[in-house]
Amino acid sequence: MTSQYNFKKIVIVPTAKDFIDIVLSKTQRKTPTVVHKQYKISRIRQFYMRKVKFSQQTFHDKLSTILTDFPKLDDIHPFYADLMNVLYDKDHYKLALGQINIALHLIDNVSKDYVRLLKYGDSLYRCKQLKKAALGRMATIMKRQAQSLQYLEQVRQHLSRLPSIDPNTRTLLICGFPNVGKSSFINKITRADVEVQPYAFTTKSLFVGHTDHRYLRWQVVDTPGILDHPLEDRNTIEMQAIAALAHLRAAILYVMDISEQCGHTIEQQVALFESIKPLFANKPLLVVLNKTDVIRLEELNPEQKALIQGFINDDIPVMEMSTFSEEGVMNVKTEACERLLSHRIEVKIKSKKVEGILNRLHVALPKPRDGCTRPAFVPEKVIEKRLEKGPKIKKKTERDLEVELEDDYSLDLKKNYDLPADFKYDVIPEFWEGKNIADYIDPDIMAKLEELEREEELRVESGVYEKEEEEMDDEEKEIHRLAGKIREKKAIIAIEGRIGRSGGAPVMPRAGRKRERSVSRLRSEFEELGVDMSNKSGAHFSRTKSRSASRPPIKKARADSAGRVSSSSRVTPRDQSGIRNVELKAKAKKMGHKAQGKMNQFGKAGEADRHIAVKMPRHLYSGKRGIGKTDRR
Amino acid sequence: MPQNEHIELFQKRYGFRMDYQERQRKKKAREHKLQSKMAQKLIGIKGKIFAKKRYSEKVQLKRTIKAHEEKKTCKKEDGKVPEGAMPAYLLDRENTSQAKLLSSMVKQKRKEKAGKWDVPLPKVRAQSEAEVFRVLKTGKSRRKGWKRLVTKVCFVGEGFTRKPPKYERFVRPMALRFKKAHVTHPELKATFCLPIVGVKKNPSSPMYTSLGVITKGTIIEVNVSELGLVTQGGKVVWGKYAQVTNNPENDGCINAILLV
Repeated sequence: MTSQYNFKKIVIVPTAKDFIDIVLSKTQRKTPTVVHKQYKISRIRQFYMRKVKFSQQTFHDKLSTILTDFPKLDDIHPFYADLMNVLYDKDHYKLALGQINIALHLIDNVSKDYVRLLKYGDSLYRCKQLKKAALGRMATIMKRQAQSLQYLEQVRQHLSRLPSIDPNTRTLLICGFPNVGKSSFINKITRADVEVQPYAFTTKSLFVGHTDHRYLRWQVVDTPGILDHPLEDRNTIEMQAIAALAHLRAAILYVMDISEQCGHTIEQQVALFESIKPLFANKPLLVVLNKTDVIRLEELNPEQKALIQGFINDDIPVMEMSTFSEEGVMNVKTEACERLLSHRIEVKIKSKKVEGILNRLHVALPKPRDGCTRPAFVPEKVIEKRLEKGPKIKKKTERDLEVELEDDYSLDLKKNYDLPADFKYDVIPEFWEGKNIADYIDPDIMAKLEELEREEELRVESGVYEKEEEEMDDEEKEIHRLAGKIREKKAIIAIEGRIGRSGGAPVMPRAGRKRERSVSRLRSEFEELGVDMSNKSGAHFSRTKSRSASRPPIKKARADSAGRVSSSSRVTPRDQSGIRNVELKAKAKKMGHKAQGKMNQFGKAGEADRHIAVKMPRHLYSGKRGIGKTDRR
Repeated sequence: MPQNEHIELFQKRYGFRMDYQERQRKKKAREHKLQSKMAQKLIGIKGKIFAKKRYSEKVQLKRTIKAHEEKKTCKKEDGKVPEGAMPAYLLDRENTSQAKLLSSMVKQKRKEKAGKWDVPLPKVRAQSEAEVFRVLKTGKSRRKGWKRLVTKVCFVGEGFTRKPPKYERFVRPMALRFKKAHVTHPELKATFCLPIVGVKKNPSSPMYTSLGVITKGTIIEVNVSELGLVTQGGKVVWGKYAQVTNNPENDGCINAILLV
């Protein structure tokens, strides 16, 4: 049985016009749109039949979700069924849903008929007219349901805002005349924020709040006030309270206003009690006298006291409270909860389910071996000592202090420090005279340190830390020396490389760097390292023969004092060659950057990189157009 | 949890934002911009639907504006005389004499007799056989072409049984057989769904009449016992003629006008 106490999941019911628009536009979007009269007739027929069937399916789906989402009054708890009857009129509700159901079947029939007719359509024009007629008929059927749909939408909105009352759990139900203080009471014991105003019928529907007692969750239901007149004359607001009283198995708190500020005398309130007494059968009842801050029970006159006494004579507990001064409110709640709990336990014990649990429980007590008792043994001396000590002085705990001081209390952990009073609340520093205070916390720290040092000396003397040194011959020594030099040189090169690397400035490619590796450079570097380069005229690195047939005069490259050729410095760098002035240079640079940007974005290696990552991206080669034709892709 | 009218309660307790009224006012003032944007942007079917809706709105607006303006302007009276109004000195005259009444009655009767077959649709396009029938090839090698399939809507009547399929020349498919027609009463302007009794005459050909083919302009007989018409003699009228006004094979239903 699906009993929902939360009606917030009902699908939104659109208006008739919107409904038709939704379904027709969905049909247009989700079915093929192109058909020509030169197609085969079977293809044309299929095209139009699909449209008719699709519309019918969509209508069917949407209407059936509406029908299943709305609760059936026979399937839900009678409390909710009654409440919905009071609020929405059971007949109207059932009729509206019935009309929707009829519309559903009519639409199905229309679709069936027209699909059958479409099978005999022999031209595009005829099939198109038949499809138009079919969709038009379905739309007309929906247009006739406008009223039902509107009503159902209003019902849905109201249903979603109903408080979720669980009819089976522990509930306290508060009832009474209007303005006696029911809403104030529920505001006091729960976190429900019910409006409290001096005029009658401030609360116009049921409100629910939750409270705790004995580690259990209790529901508290606040009802609108009930007036004393027969059932037929009751209006919708009062009927909600009656529905709650009739169907919820709860503890009833009948609230009375003994100060008569609500506008009704105690006699009238007692009369109301008598008239709704049949609804209190089999439910734990509690009569609560509210507004005792204005007038107390003892101050009432004897006739009124007699009426109240009548309750006590009938075994109905009467309690006093005042929601204004908050005295007795907690007692009332506790009493009501206790009564309901014991009532529910009684009912459970009488039911069959308890047997199953009781059968499984067994409390095992040890069987006594013999008849003599064996109480706890306390030696006499201990007893004497205890008496000497006197009664245990109860130490004052922090909690007691907190309760005493209330708002002025603040937790002070330093007050029990073992220091003279003026040092207690000082801030502890971390350093003192250049030393860590933490190091000196231990009083024996100096002695321990000395011991450690002594131990260390002993170890050094005994030679624990001595290492064996190997004997190296000349060769190995030479190798060691050279290795050291190589390491040094490597480190220098690395550092120079790091210095030489300049941010994001563009680097000239290797081919552009002229004359980096020249013979003169070779010569100078080797001289630095100490190699003799004077008589290397026949070496492979020096040019012996010129390559051209006619021998032009050998131009001697201008070398500076270090022997480095300076020709490379005279060639104009590429970003300046062919450019007249500075502005053009800047412009050329900008253009270069702009052209490169797009290439970089697509991860291209260069201008000549024509690789395409995705040859047929799906978003360009599939799908229908939002508007327009899909002739070319 | 928010219960019952929590939104209204909140508004009652805490009121609205400081700029709430201003924002509402400004939002409303901006609405015409949104409308014009939609009117320019929407194209295709949505554009057409929007344009239609907007047109009807504009027509209403113009009408109300005109009505308001009429109140403001003070027009001179046209001097139009309402129909049937007579000057005071002519009021007491008898308009038609007895003789005139009789003669007009006779003329009326003659006219009725002459116009007995005056139908709402006097002329209809003739349907050729190629339109109404389609050749059905039969036989083992599909060479014989003597069977015909009726492509228009027809009426076969209750208790109709097909001829044995081997000898059946005109095939009337079940999907195209209709029993009811939507008949409109021309004066009452009300439409009823009445059962068809039979096909009286098909203007294109008597063969179609015998087959029961219903096309536009066909005279059919419908069962009007629902309407509860009574003759002058006190007898109940249960059958009347009606003429079909639409193409039933295109619309899937038969619409007819009652011939009174």
